[in-house]
Amino acid sequence: MNKILLIIRREYLSRVKKKSFIIMTFLTPLLIAGIYGLIGYFTYKGISATHDKVAVVSTNKTLTEKLTSDKNIEYNYVDQSLEEMKKSLKKTDYDYVLYLPDFTLTTPKGIELFGEKQAGLSLNNRISGDIEELIRNQKLKESGIAQADLDQLKTSVDIDVKKIAETGKEESSSAGASTIIAFIAGILMFMFIMLYGIQVMRGVIEEKTSRIIEVMISSVKPFQLMMGKIIGIALVGLTQFILWIVLTFTISTVAVSFFVDKADVKKITATAKNTNQIATGTDAAPQAQGPMADIQKSLAGLDFGKIVTVFIFFFIGGYLFYSALYAAIGSAVDSETETQQFMMPVMLPLLLGYALSLSVVTNDPYGNVAFWLSMIPFTSPIAMVVRLPYGVPNWELALSMVILVVGFVGTVWIASRIYRVGILMYGKKTTFKEMFKWFTYKN
Amino acid sequence: MLSVNNIVKQYAKHRALDQVSLEVERGKIFGLLGPNGAGKTSLIRIITQITAPDSGEVLFNGQRLNNDHISQIGYLPEERGLYKKMEIGEQVLYLSKLKGLSTAEATKRIKFWFEKLEMQTWWNKKVEDLSKGMQQKVQFVATVLHEPELIILDEPFSGFDPVNADIIKNEILELNKKGATFIFSTHRMESVEELCDHIALIDRSKKILDGSVDEIKATYRNNTYWIEYEGNYDTNHTNGLFDVLQTESLKEKTLIKIQLQGQTSVNEVLATLLPHVAISRLDEVIPTMNDIFIDKVKRQDYE
Repeated sequence: MNKILLIIRREYLSRVKKKSFIIMTFLTPLLIAGIYGLIGYFTYKGISATHDKVAVVSTNKTLTEKLTSDKNIEYNYVDQSLEEMKKSLKKTDYDYVLYLPDFTLTTPKGIELFGEKQAGLSLNNRISGDIEELIRNQKLKESGIAQADLDQLKTSVDIDVKKIAETGKEESSSAGASTIIAFIAGILMFMFIMLYGIQVMRGVIEEKTSRIIEVMISSVKPFQLMMGKIIGIALVGLTQFILWIVLTFTISTVAVSFFVDKADVKKITATAKNTNQIATGTDAAPQAQGPMADIQKSLAGLDFGKIVTVFIFFFIGGYLFYSALYAAIGSAVDSETETQQFMMPVMLPLLLGYALSLSVVTNDPYGNVAFWLSMIPFTSPIAMVVRLPYGVPNWELALSMVILVVGFVGTVWIASRIYRVGILMYGKKTTFKEMFKWFTYKN
Repeated sequence: MLSVNNIVKQYAKHRALDQVSLEVERGKIFGLLGPNGAGKTSLIRIITQITAPDSGEVLFNGQRLNNDHISQIGYLPEERGLYKKMEIGEQVLYLSKLKGLSTAEATKRIKFWFEKLEMQTWWNKKVEDLSKGMQQKVQFVATVLHEPELIILDEPFSGFDPVNADIIKNEILELNKKGATFIFSTHRMESVEELCDHIALIDRSKKILDGSVDEIKATYRNNTYWIEYEGNYDTNHTNGLFDVLQTESLKEKTLIKIQLQGQTSVNEVLATLLPHVAISRLDEVIPTMNDIFIDKVKRQDYE
């Protein structure tokens, strides 16, 4: 036992002390925080600052109402002709010229938008939406509805998605936020299992090619060496994961308070508070408050403690499951270039799990595919963390965990039998048949 | 101290060891000889408990091999290797702690050995920065640091330049004087001939020769002598006392290789020669271990 601890210690320290580890650990959160900050910054700025000035040249006689401006778009009706406007567009501070020809309400044709730059899709949708609304109102009015009634018709609907938990309590949830968390968790899990599994394989190959293996196993049992390596590298992964979470959180907090001025922060928190109130159902006329608030609201409905705990459990389980296989592969080859043929069958289920989890499972988190993917230990680490934010019954979670534990005990057992023979084999091209033969060797 | 009894080791279709038995006495240097692929490494791997035999047993001080013996055996494999990115001092420390030494004790001994072999400045160097010979020295230190009772060296002198080979040889003799038992495994006889007390020859998974170096050499003497003389002698007139195997003329002198017939003594041969020539040299041809080795292995090939 003492020897395993020594091996774990060496495997852990030799990796954590590496420059590349330190750089990766500190740079990645900076990058994540940076990207996150940039996205947040631009979304916020984008929403508040997109402001297009549109000159409207109207020869239309059927529309009595005018297009209404708001903070994102400004419509100005001008008296000049279309030709004149087109020519002088550069000199004026208008971005676009909108031409509304004379048309009947049933066939609105010939509407044109001119600009120095191509109008974006969102602007196009916005303007056509505005015109459609104008036409609809016009039609309604013609059918005899008063303006006052029309104004009253306008309501904004915001669906408040709630999930009834097993306890019968209502929990606020949002498909949007769950999907984001599910994606992040799925990608992280895939990355971690891949990266650290391959590290185990590299470590084994390194010991083989540097020929220290024979010295080592004259002192320790092959199983001790393999487990020591696997556990040591798992601890490196956990260290990195925890540091990433802590650092990302710290850096983004610092960055937000640094880059976004205080007034904006107040505004954001105010919106958040406002929406929280809405979420609790005190206000009868809710109003959309922008994507930030929406996400914040539903994030509040997720149980982060549970998600992180389950993530760590499935990371350890999935990592042990796969890294044992990687160790077996490493033991069977002489150099990394020979690993290809063995990598495929190990990578495939992981990739499949990853791809299906992010497509099928996120679309139908309670379906049959999702259920089975989260039970089979080859795919369950990814599928389960992807399903988790949508809510998973406790018995399914427990069953999946038990299967995963049984699974990794199995792969560790199989791998250790291949490993003990493989590490002493040199200069032979190994085949699957041969690996199976090693597995059946007595000692 | 080490008894190997009827060891059999089978790898799929290949039998690596077939009923091999050996006896290694305490305090001796034992040579395990044999051509490449004879089964030496398989046997060593069984003694170092890397693998287990299919049948037969190995006794260490009368006990069946078990985990407690790991710390009493030091093993330097033929394929030397260290962790390339690890610092030397740390590495030797790690290896000796795996053999059960405490950090303090290991550090003390590493310092002693590094000083003895003039390696003090290497402590913080990485293995990849050392030459091959230097790495061998480090590995030797790691092998003997925990003061094992039995030290197994596989091809101990390969990779050393003559100066370092000599240093290592002296260290081995010193350790041997202090009571350590050695097993040398090699296919290059000349490198260990002068060190070994006892040898066993393994060829094609079987032991084909076993005994003390002196005894073996004695049995391989075949009454052959080199005689150098001045003058003329007709080598056809041997009176049936001896056969001339070879004749070489060197300026005024002649060198002949003869083999005595039957019960003839060297004196009788000399008596025959003396009236005709002036003898300047007489040597008995003693086979080297190398000759014996080649002879034995070749004979094995014909059978």
